[in-house]
Amino acid sequence: MASGLRIVTERVGDGAGQPVLDPDNGEELMHVQPGVSIVLGNRPPESPGTLYISTKQVVWLSDTDRAKGYAVDFVSLSLHAVSRDPDAYHSPCIYTQIETGAEELESEDSDSESDNILNLSKITEMRLVPSDPNQLDTLFAIFCECAELNPDPIEEGEDGHNWVFSADQLEDDGGEDDDSEWAIPENSSHSIGSNGNHDLAHSVVQLHINDQRFEDAEEMEQDDKNGHH
Amino acid sequence: MLSCMEMCVQLFLSVFKDLVGSEVTVELKDDLAVRGTLHAVDQFLNFKLVNVRVVDPDKHPHMFSVQNCFIRGSAVRYVQLPPNEVDVELLQDATRREARSS
Repeated sequence: MASGLRIVTERVGDGAGQPVLDPDNGEELMHVQPGVSIVLGNRPPESPGTLYISTKQVVWLSDTDRAKGYAVDFVSLSLHAVSRDPDAYHSPCIYTQIETGAEELESEDSDSESDNILNLSKITEMRLVPSDPNQLDTLFAIFCECAELNPDPIEEGEDGHNWVFSADQLEDDGGEDDDSEWAIPENSSHSIGSNGNHDLAHSVVQLHINDQRFEDAEEMEQDDKNGHH
Repeated sequence: MLSCMEMCVQLFLSVFKDLVGSEVTVELKDDLAVRGTLHAVDQFLNFKLVNVRVVDPDKHPHMFSVQNCFIRGSAVRYVQLPPNEVDVELLQDATRREARSS
């Protein structure tokens, strides 16, 4: 499913041009950041270039070579972060990890591939170095936003995107329609986490009651209890 | 009625909601493990961590310590939870029930 980094050779427009997007499928441009170099794996930085962030992908286009560009879908970015640690990299940058889908990856230090032959499918790290490091937090936030727009296709989003920043933020668990079918839990004072809200215990009891197969499970539990005494 | 997958996700989402503010270690499917404070978690089990550092810097020399980090839910293999802050029995019970129902 995750495709990894790919080369972009097509552009629209004059001059340095812009990436080709897919508005018919809902893709929109979210942000353009000029003055960005791109660092793929262990390779030296490539610049100058412009970063285009759409709702689906990140595209870097060289400002000087219309045939040179790279793109990666957000579904392939397993991690992104703002890197300011000079021990990690000499310039502040957005650090990303790319999921290539390859099971066994060769070491990135392997010189079996000549530097001139770029095997994009093996690139698992990408850094985006803006000429203006003050833009990093903005870029990070946009990356987060776009990543959230691209969940894995299996799970579909429900009402809208909900980040939980504290345990006080309670969400409705499950559909409103189902509430009437569930009994009130007995031990709702127990909770799994230290912040101590009832959500999990409530969910657990809801799960228990909602599935008829638990009739058998209850008998098994009784046997267990007898066995352990 | 929720699908089994949705129930599992909700179960874990509840666990992580309770752990916001705690130190967790997230191990990704590519073996990278990062440790940081859980800042937020969303319905896709994406994680936002703060004050992040790599668990094994010798294994990952290019890696980093960062202020903020966003980890895609689908990239996560394990999340190590602080044992003192989790009711392990209740969690095991809940996951056992999940296993039976699937």
